[in-house]
Amino acid sequence: MTVVGIDCGAKNVKALILEEDKILAKSSVLSGFDQKAAAQEALDLVLKDASLKKEDLAHITATGTGKEEVGFSLGTITEVGANAKAINSLFPSVRTVIDVGAEEGRAIKINDKGKVIDFAINEKCAAGAGTFTETMARALEIKLEEMGSLSLKSQKAVPMNAQCAVFAESEVVSLIHAKHAKEDIVRAVHDAIADRIASMVRKIGIEKDVALVGGVARNIGFVDSLKRDLNLDLLIPDDPEFSCALGAAFAAAEKAKGG
Amino acid sequence: MMEKFKEWYEKRHEYAKEWKSKTGGKVVGYFCTYVPEEILYAAGVLPVRILGSHEPQDVTEPHIFGMYCPFCRDCLAQGLKGKYDYLDGIMIAQSCLHIRQTFTSWKLHIPIDFSYYLPMPNNVQSKRALPYLTGELKAFKEALEKWTGKAISDEDMKTGIEIMNQSRKLTRELYELRKQPNPPLTGLEAMYAVVASQIVDKKDYNETLHGVLEKLPQRPAEKDSKVRLMILGSEDDDTEFLQMVESLGAIFVVDDHCTGSRYFWNEVTPNQNPLEAIAARYVERVPCPSKDWPERTRIEHIKKLAQDWEVQGAIVIQQKFCDPHELDIPATIESLKQIGIPAQFLEFDVTVPVGQFKTRVEAFLEMLKEEDLY
Repeated sequence: MTVVGIDCGAKNVKALILEEDKILAKSSVLSGFDQKAAAQEALDLVLKDASLKKEDLAHITATGTGKEEVGFSLGTITEVGANAKAINSLFPSVRTVIDVGAEEGRAIKINDKGKVIDFAINEKCAAGAGTFTETMARALEIKLEEMGSLSLKSQKAVPMNAQCAVFAESEVVSLIHAKHAKEDIVRAVHDAIADRIASMVRKIGIEKDVALVGGVARNIGFVDSLKRDLNLDLLIPDDPEFSCALGAAFAAAEKAKGG
Repeated sequence: MMEKFKEWYEKRHEYAKEWKSKTGGKVVGYFCTYVPEEILYAAGVLPVRILGSHEPQDVTEPHIFGMYCPFCRDCLAQGLKGKYDYLDGIMIAQSCLHIRQTFTSWKLHIPIDFSYYLPMPNNVQSKRALPYLTGELKAFKEALEKWTGKAISDEDMKTGIEIMNQSRKLTRELYELRKQPNPPLTGLEAMYAVVASQIVDKKDYNETLHGVLEKLPQRPAEKDSKVRLMILGSEDDDTEFLQMVESLGAIFVVDDHCTGSRYFWNEVTPNQNPLEAIAARYVERVPCPSKDWPERTRIEHIKKLAQDWEVQGAIVIQQKFCDPHELDIPATIESLKQIGIPAQFLEFDVTVPVGQFKTRVEAFLEMLKEEDLY
């Protein structure tokens, strides 16, 4: 049985084809202004990649901020529920899932069956999410991809207060004027985001093991900061930004089986 | 069937103006549910609760500190913009500093014939609260008599108490219907009704609600059972939020808001001394968190509501920067958890960020009904 999970995120739409427990293909396209079109494009891409047609699919489940926009989906699941399913399957020992995407950070507490026990989602502000890193990369005139490795070179912790993405940018500018090394400022940015995420996780209580998913999990500088802040190791799947899409695919498979 | 309440809620100013021209009476705007409306009704004055509009505004910055709650600023904005220009008086009973600032600014910047600050005691658990408030109510009654130029008789007081009690009794009956497995009314409809009761003449409200209560039991109930929620926290007349949640397969069956059940829950038990009877009601009512100390009594009340109305989950929502509620919320959430009721905490502003709230509410509902979803 072949199913698709599609995650319509704030920044990217991710689609994934699942055949039984095997991932056949993945795609990611920018969400842009027209999420509906982006979702269609993501679906077309995975189908092409797996040499399948839409008719071959037993079910499609959508998740993510724009899940209602996915015209062709047969069902929806929230990002919280999708993450729980995906991580319970990938890492059965995990009880706390941290998901850091472009606009939202989430902390989810699950039991051994992958049932959601509690969760927290960041408030209005995007300072604890991926878009914030992008803004900071722009202010520092470096590529987003360079942020991680540069951060690891830092030898010095510089305090920074990331209460708001806009004000944090001016704080970064002050740090630049104070002649701090670029790598220390980058680390300060990651530490600040890690602070925000960690306090959100503490709100629901940290129970081991802990997994980190979402696009920001690709940023090794942030991962380092978060590990230091929480003082524990983090389990990160190979393609952390596809966690929600994978969970949605699991939900689709369950639905198709009539479960 | 319940459209009248929504109409009153939406056209509150038109209603009050019409009431004035029809009766020639005075209208007093009040800021807190500790205001003894019984005495205002006894004086033939119409009390209307001043509420916000849920529209962004830019006129209160010079008057109210930025970290005071959005509700107190929203209320003041209505005054500054002239929405309440028909009021003859304003009054407040001491509860929290934020809303008192609204009252004070209003008095200072908006010309008004009559204004009254009632020093409602904060320590209602003290034995001295009752005699103190009884004395203050006497002073208030006299101030009112002086302003209207008309003495308030014992008979008037009795009428005032009856009008208020009748309204409380009927609204309670409305809430009782929400105990049913498939309640004949939504949480949104209940909110329109209770809030309407605070802004229209209780005599009109009682008559309309009486008719509604006769018809409601015959209303065809929805077939699908929904997730039963309770909503609790500070001032809340955010209809948009309730509508959003109830569109996701949930129904609010009970609340603990000062715009909701806290407003009408307790009745006055009449005795020989009407002022003392009224004072007892306000001292003993389900308290606002600003008055619920040293003992926390409200949480037990909330737990009982949750059990009696068989709720599956609770939305704990508060006005941003509402300190009294912020103090109570961790203990409230923990107590609910102990009786098996998960809670989701949300923070209000003047306008509701519907998209973000929706994401969280959807996940919360998914969590509550996970067993039978897949």
